[in-house]
Amino acid sequence: MNSKSVPVIAERLTKTFRVAHRSAGFMGGVRAIFRPTWEYKPVVRGVSLSVQPGELVALLGPNGAGKSTTIKMLTGIVAPTTGSVRLCGLDPHRNREENARNIGAVFGQRSQLWWDLPARDSLVMLRDIFEVPAGEYRERLRQFDDMLELSRFWDTRVRHLSLGQRVRCDLAAALLHDPAVLFLDEPTIGMDVLVKEQVREFLRHQVAEDGKAVLLTTHDMKEVEHLAERIILINDGEEMFEGGVAALRSRFGATWKVHVTLSDAVGHPRLAHARIVAREGARVTFGPRPEASAPLGHALKEIINAYPVSDVSTEEDSLEDIMRTYLGGAAAARQSASGGSRMAAR
Amino acid sequence: MTPVGAVATIGRLCRITRVTWLSELLEPGRMVSTAIQVGSQVFLTACLWTALYAHTEVSAGLQEHQAVGYAVLAVLASRLRPLSRDMAPDSFYRHMREGTILYWFLRPLPPHRYHLVRALGDQAHGLLWVLAGYGLCTTAGVVPLPDGRWTLPAFLVSMFLGQVIVYQLSLILDLLCFWTVANSNALHVSHFVQSLLSGAFAPLWFFPGWFTTANSFLPFQSTLHIPLSIYVGRIPVNRVPREVAVQAVWCLLLWLITRTLWKRAESRVAVQGG
Repeated sequence: MNSKSVPVIAERLTKTFRVAHRSAGFMGGVRAIFRPTWEYKPVVRGVSLSVQPGELVALLGPNGAGKSTTIKMLTGIVAPTTGSVRLCGLDPHRNREENARNIGAVFGQRSQLWWDLPARDSLVMLRDIFEVPAGEYRERLRQFDDMLELSRFWDTRVRHLSLGQRVRCDLAAALLHDPAVLFLDEPTIGMDVLVKEQVREFLRHQVAEDGKAVLLTTHDMKEVEHLAERIILINDGEEMFEGGVAALRSRFGATWKVHVTLSDAVGHPRLAHARIVAREGARVTFGPRPEASAPLGHALKEIINAYPVSDVSTEEDSLEDIMRTYLGGAAAARQSASGGSRMAAR
Repeated sequence: MTPVGAVATIGRLCRITRVTWLSELLEPGRMVSTAIQVGSQVFLTACLWTALYAHTEVSAGLQEHQAVGYAVLAVLASRLRPLSRDMAPDSFYRHMREGTILYWFLRPLPPHRYHLVRALGDQAHGLLWVLAGYGLCTTAGVVPLPDGRWTLPAFLVSMFLGQVIVYQLSLILDLLCFWTVANSNALHVSHFVQSLLSGAFAPLWFFPGWFTTANSFLPFQSTLHIPLSIYVGRIPVNRVPREVAVQAVWCLLLWLITRTLWKRAESRVAVQGG
C-alpha cells in the first residue's frame, strides 16, 4: 500500500524542545534574563503510527505524554526533530497550504469560529477560506444539520453558544471542506451525555459512511470503547502499545469475574483457565488463573461445560480500570527508577 | 493563475474582510459610541486649534485653516488603524494566549495573508468613518478642500503608503507575541509613541528642530505627518516625490522585517502547549 492511499503515516517521530531553565527565586529570574541556560526536553520519542481510510484510532496517554505534540507534528504545525510524516502523500510541514485541504481539526476547548459572528456566518467565512463550491457547501451543511441539529442555534453568535453547541459547530467547521483526515483533540470534553452521544454518532457516520481517517485523543475511555477500532498508547513520549481494545485488556492484565449459581452440588474439577475465588452456598465466583490469564470467553465456556449452571453473570474491567492500573504502575516504575535507567513498560 | 482564477481569489479575500463589518453591524452600541467618540474628538480638536490661533495668523509655518485641517484630519485618520479586538478573543494576543492561532496554520490561506486580509477589513471599515467625518467637516468648513490640481492625488498616494506603514508597524507588534506571548505593554507604549511621532497629537511643525530631525530617521512621521502636510499645502507639490520616495523606502524596509519575522514566528508555534 503506497503512502497516498494511507491517509496518515508517521515513522519514528521524535520532537525535542529547547526550553529555558530558570532557577527559583528573584536572582534566578534575573539570571535567566541575562544569562539564560537552555535544556533540551524530549517530548516525543520514536512514535510510529498509521491511520487507514474509514478507521478511527484513539491516541491515549496521561497528561504530558506527548499526544498533542504528536498531533501538531501530524498536522504540520510543528516539524518533527527526526522521523517522517506523510499525510495523503504529503509532508504536512513543508506543504502546509496543500495539506490544509486534506485535514480538519478540532482542538477541544479551542474554537476556530469567529466569536462575534453568528455560527453560520463563521461557516460561510470558512467556506470562502477553503474555497468550497456553493452547492457542496449547502449540501454538507444540510447533512451536518441533520445529524447535529445545527439550525437550532446557528444564527446565535458564537460567544453565546453553550459548549456543546459550539463544539458541534466546530466539528462542522472542521469537515466543511470534506477532508480525508480528521484530528480530534478531546472533542467531547465537558459535554453532557446526550450531546456526547450525538457527537459520537456523527463521528461513527463520518468514519463508516464517509471513509474518513480519524485520530482521536481523549481521556474519556467510554468514548474510546464506543468509537475506536485501534488504540495507540503513549507515555513519556514513547509508544507503549498499539492494538485493539481486547489486546489492550490482555496486555495490561485486565481481569474478569464469572458469577454462577449451581443447580446441583458437585465436586470441583480443576479448570485450565479459571479458578474459584469465592463461594457462598450455591453461588460460586470464578476468576482467571494467575499463571495463565485467559480471555473471559474461553473461561466461561470451560465453566459452563464443567458445572451444572442455573444462572451466570460476568464482570469485566472497564477500559478506564485498565488505564488506571497501567498509569498507576507506570508512575510507580518511574519513581522507583529514581535517576537510573528508565523502566520501559514495553 | 488564470485571470478568472485571480478574480475569484480576490473576490474570496474581499469576502473574508467582511468579518469586521459583520461584527460591527451586530454591535450597534459600539457604532454609536464610535460616532460619539469621533464627533467629540473632532469638535474639541477644532475648538482647541481655533483658540490657539485667536491671537496669531501664522505659527510654525501653518495658517489657522491649515493647522485646524491638519489636526482634525489626524483625528479622523486615526480611525484607519486596525481595530482593537481585545474584548473579543480575536486579537492576535488572545489567539496566541488561548492557542487558537493553531487554526491559522491549518488553513489553505497562509497566516500572513489572513492577517493582512483582516487588517484590510478593519481599515476599510475605518475608511467609511473617515469619509463620513471628512464629508461633514468639509461641509462645515472645519477642514479646507485641497488647494491645487495635484494636491489631492499626491495626498492619496502618500496616505496610502502611510497606511501600509501603519499596518506593518502594527504587524510587528502582533508578531512580537510569538516571542513574548503578551504584547499589551508594547501596544500601550507604541500607541502613545506612534500618536506623538506621527503628528496625531499635534502637527509636527510645532516641535523643536532637534525633535523633527531625530524623528525623520523613524517611520512614524510617514504615517500621518507627511500626507496631512501635503493635504494642507505645508509641503509643496514639488517636494512630494522626495517624501513619497522616503515613504516607499520605509514600506520596503518594514516589509522585509515583517517577512523575516513571519518566517521565524512560524517555527515558534510550538510555544503553545497542550
